[in-house]
This record gives sequence, structure tokens and C-alpha cells, in this order.
Amino acid sequence: MTFYTTVKSALLGLGALAFTTSAVLADDLADIKAAGKIVVATEMHYAPFDMLENGEYVGFDRDLFDEIAKELGVTPEYLDLPWTSILPGLEVNKFDFVLAPVTMTAERAERYSFTLPIADATVAFVQRKDGKMTGPEDAKGMTVGVQKGTAQEKQLEAYGEKIGGITVKGYGTPDEAYADLMTGRLDAVAGSAPLLSYLANTRPDNFAVVTPPFGTPTYFGFVARKGDGDTLVAAVNDALEAIKADGRMAAMQEKWFGMATELPATMPEL
Amino acid sequence: MTEIIQRYGPDLLTGFGYTILSWALGTLLGLVLGFMIEIARRFGPAFLRYPIRAYVEFVRGTPFLVQLFVLYYGGPLIGLRLDALPAGILGLTIYGSAYFTEILRAGFDAVPVGQVEAARAIGFRNTTIITRIMVPVMMVSALPALVNFAIILTKETVILSMITVPEIMFQTQTMMSETFAFVAPILILALFFWGFVELISRFGRRLERRFTHYLLDRS
Amino acid sequence: MFSFQTIVENFPVLLGSARYTLLISVLGCIEGLILGAVICAAALSNKRWMRRIAALYVSFFRGVPLLIQLLAAYYLLPVIGINVPALAAAVLTVGLCAAAYLSEVLRGSLNAIPQGQAEAAAAIGMAPRDVWIRILLPQALKIGLPAIVNELILLVKASSLVTVVGIVEITRMSQSIAAATYRPLEIYLAAAFIYLVINLVIAQAGRMLERRLTV
Repeated sequence: MTFYTTVKSALLGLGALAFTTSAVLADDLADIKAAGKIVVATEMHYAPFDMLENGEYVGFDRDLFDEIAKELGVTPEYLDLPWTSILPGLEVNKFDFVLAPVTMTAERAERYSFTLPIADATVAFVQRKDGKMTGPEDAKGMTVGVQKGTAQEKQLEAYGEKIGGITVKGYGTPDEAYADLMTGRLDAVAGSAPLLSYLANTRPDNFAVVTPPFGTPTYFGFVARKGDGDTLVAAVNDALEAIKADGRMAAMQEKWFGMATELPATMPEL
Repeated sequence: MTEIIQRYGPDLLTGFGYTILSWALGTLLGLVLGFMIEIARRFGPAFLRYPIRAYVEFVRGTPFLVQLFVLYYGGPLIGLRLDALPAGILGLTIYGSAYFTEILRAGFDAVPVGQVEAARAIGFRNTTIITRIMVPVMMVSALPALVNFAIILTKETVILSMITVPEIMFQTQTMMSETFAFVAPILILALFFWGFVELISRFGRRLERRFTHYLLDRS
Repeated sequence: MFSFQTIVENFPVLLGSARYTLLISVLGCIEGLILGAVICAAALSNKRWMRRIAALYVSFFRGVPLLIQLLAAYYLLPVIGINVPALAAAVLTVGLCAAAYLSEVLRGSLNAIPQGQAEAAAAIGMAPRDVWIRILLPQALKIGLPAIVNELILLVKASSLVTVVGIVEITRMSQSIAAATYRPLEIYLAAAFIYLVINLVIAQAGRMLERRLTV
């Protein structure tokens, strides 16, 4: 969406005080195909999945969804929204599809329609290079940052109870938690393994991942509305299988995660 | 519903607590700092005026959110590492001081020069002139604006959620992302602030009546 | 160590995002003035229920933080069947909020206009609506200009909150760049500088306009 078309839409919205239900957003696969475009939302602060480089949206999700959209035969349109706004935004039809990696949990699966897994989401700790942790259980008594409103936050809280006390601090984005780890306000940050290894690989002088991961093994998926979005999810799953089959997936994994891994071809037990 | 209240009730109460605490401290300290700045500008050496003016223009010309980010994420790089709550309160204090000092300046300007001169003529010391003559007279004209800005500060406290202060907005967002319910939490937030602001403005009107009481008596 | 290099490299992108800041605050201010005039008229109406509604409106939009209003516009409006694009939602909400403040500004200015003018206009047979639009409102705008400019400056700053509905304006962009460069101090100061310049320019333009109107 260019600046001028958004200006035009803003003026239209202003002029009419916008008392119209939006016809731009599609409700299901048929609508998206008819419109020729799909509007997807993510928070572009989730490296290496989603990030902004010089104001441009890049990352594993971007590459993957460009391919998925090609398979679907539609043009993708990307929105940047704070994580806490994303799932509610999907419910009220602000966009068609959640491109943010959403950790698969039983509660969420009741409410949203998940695609097949797109990456590993198991939770681990990252600390400063000079940090003292040698294993996850050393987190006892420490102050640990995590993105708020996430499945990682819940796992961290549960783990804290298990090992006897972690002070949890919630952040808007993982980036802010990493920044606070560097300032020394935090002893560690909990997050999904792919994010943390990307962080430690790109900034080896500052960060180190604490092995092994402490959380129960989980996966990331993308999400659509339950019911209306089911056909869309089925189509995205078909696209994912095609992308895996011809090696495009492995190439993208190499590019963003440093290694190719096999992903389940069926929905995991939640 | 009862389950949600049981699960989140205590968190929401904690949130209210942090909101009110940071607002009260931020307003009070902001008022004190603003008062000191105004006294320095009015009675201090002349070279202080430009830095003070630059400070006021900077604080009033930039969003509170950005100031808070500079303070919280930028501060540690120059050795100022504050926890979220102190950083938030300091942010509110700084933000408030710039506005309060301008309000106080206008208030002091409105104090009739003759009253100050008369006090000086009969031998009042500077500090006595300030506390006994200028401040009480100034409060009459400045109080509505001071209360008004204190109200504006209540609303700025929600921004502290963005630097992890567990105030009401922060708690509500956590609740929203865990329960997937968002209509009720937003309404609760809106009602809380609406009520809180109404309460402060009622209190402000009563305070105004007290300070202007002597004016009414004579008329 | 302070890195000017970081600021120089990222400044163009940051500056580019300022157009959304300007767009939202200027459109919001215009909407606020139009709607504010209507609310002001209602507040001064001789019908009690209209005064009640105006008072309720002002109290609500001044009592609830803009951040919460934005979330409400984004999440709650679709629930009752009104779904607007993010930018329209942002402009709409910022304008609704500004209207509450601007209606009070206009009301204050109207009080400063001699009563006789409206009475004279009515006496020569002008319709009440014409008295309002041709005599009172233009003068109220002129008298209220300093306060209106002040409101526009507040809106420029308030627009930093529209990040919650997904608009990448100066603040959101600076968050992204700070995350990518790990230079929060430099980037946020640069963002603050852009806001400051915008606001100083608006204040100066306001003073010039004021001088021209009073000549």
C-alpha cells in the first residue's frame, strides 16, 4: 500500500466517518482469491522470523509467505502490529491471516485454526556472554525477561514455580527484553530456540544461549479464523507441503536459521 | 466470569495500585521540581535562563513515550540504570516539571508587583515573600491549570506499561492475551480512568474553593 | 560511546516515517475543529439534552487515555459492525479526542466575542445558523488560534500512540531501528529531535499567522 492510497483511504474514512463495514478484507479463501490479495499481520520485531531492515519488512516469514502467496495465486499485503493486538485483530476481521509465529497451545487451538508447524518453538534462556548460568536450573532466583502475553511467558512462569522462584518481567517485544538484558536489568531472557540462536549467532560478543532448552517441545504455526478461515488453512497447508517437497523450505531454513530441520507433516498433539 | 475475576482480580488491583502510585509521585515530584525550576529562573543567576528554556522546550516538544524510551533504554548507556518503576516516576516527574514550571510562571506573573514591594519595604526576607505572599496569591490563578495538568498526567501513566511497569494497562493487556477476551477489559480500563479523572477534577474544584475562599468572603 | 554515525545512517528512514505523524495530527486537528464546533454549539444550545450530551462527550474523551480510545476504536468498533482501516481508525480517534479539547477552546473564545454582534446580526434578519457560521465561528477561530496551535502540537505528540493500531510513524520506526542497531539512546534522541523540530515549526507558523490575522 503506497502512502498516497493510504492517505486516500484515511480521507475517505474521515469523510464518511467510516460507518461502513469493510469490504476490502476477505473472509475466506474464496474472498481472498476473488480480491486477488491477502492481508496478513505480524509484529515485525521477531528476528529472524519478522524484522524491519532500513524500514523494509524481511525475515523467514516474509520469504515463506511470499512463496505461499505465489502458490495461492494472490498478492500478499503485510501489516505490522503489536503482538498483543494481533489475535484480537484477527477475530474482528482486521486482516485475513496471522503471519506471526504463534506457539501452538491447546487453548489457542480451541479458538483459532492453526496451519501445520512452520518452526520449532521450544523455550530456552539466553544470557549475556559473561553470564553465569550453566544450565536452565540456574535461573532460580534470577530476573528473567520474556515477551508478554505469549506461550513462552506461561512456560517460564510454570518453570519458575518448578525450580523455586524466578522474577518474570513482561516486555512488548523480544527486542526490548534483549536490550534490557544488555543494560543489566535482566539476568536472562526466555524465548523460543530459533530466536535465541539467531540472536547469539548475529551478536556472539554479547549473547550466549543456555543449553539445553527448558520448556516442553512445542511448534510455531500460523493462524486463521476458526470456521471462516478453515479453507484458507487447508490451502496454506497444501502450499507448505509443496514448498517443503521441492527444497524451498530447506533453503529458507538454511538462510535464516543456519540449518535445515525436518518439520512434522501432521498436526502435533497439543 | 467469576473465574476470570478470581484469576485476574488481584492482578488488576495491583495494577490500579501502581497506576495511582506512579501518578501521585510523578505529579508531586513534578510539581516540586517545576517549582524549583521556576524559582531558579526567577531569582537565580541570568545564565540559567537559556538552559531552563531549552529544557522546557525539549520536554514540551517531544512525546512522553519517546522521552521514556530515551530514559529507560538510553539511560544505561550513560550510566543511568533505573528499574522500570523509578524510571517511570522520574519520566513523569520530568515531563510534569516542564509544564508545571510554565503554569507557575504565569501564576507568579499575575501576582501584583505592589504586594511584593510592600512586603520588601516592611522588611520581609526573600523566602518569606515567596512563601507568605507570592505562593498563596499565585495559587489562586494557577490552581485550575495545575489541576488540569495533574489530570493529563493520569492519562500519561498508561504509557509506563511500555517499559514494563505493571500498572493497570499492563495487567489488562496480559489478561487480554491470556483470555482472548478484549471487550470487557477495554471497557474496564476506560471506566476506571473516566472515574479517576472525574474524582480528581471534583477534588480540584473543592481545592479551588478553599484557596479562593477569602475572595468570596469579601465580595 | 555516542554514535553520530548511527543517527546519520538511519535519519532518512526515520524522517520518512514522519509523514504519518504529520498526516494523523493535521487531519486529526481538522476533524477535531469541525466536530469541536458542533459540540461547542451543542454545549451552548438552549436545549438541556444537547448540553448534557456535549458535557458527557467532553468528559469522556478528556477522561479516558487516548491509548485506550485507540484500542477501543480498533477492537470494539468491529464488534458492532464498523470495521475501518488502521489509518482511518487512528485519524478518526485522534480527531474525536481533539474535538473534546477544541470544543472547550472554541467555547472560551466565543465568550470573548461581544454579545451585541450576534444580537445585531439576528436583528437584521440573519438566520441563527448563518450567525453561527459567518459571524461567531470565524472570530472564535481567530481568538482561539494560539490554543488551537497548542492543540496541534499536543496532537503531534499524541500521534506517537497510534503504533498500537499498527501504523509505522516516527516512534514505531525508531523502535524498529533501535532494535536493529542496538543503539537506543541515539535513535530515540533522533526521534525526539524530529518531533521537537516539527513542533517548533508549528509554533512559529502559529505565531506568524496570529500576527497576520491581528493586523
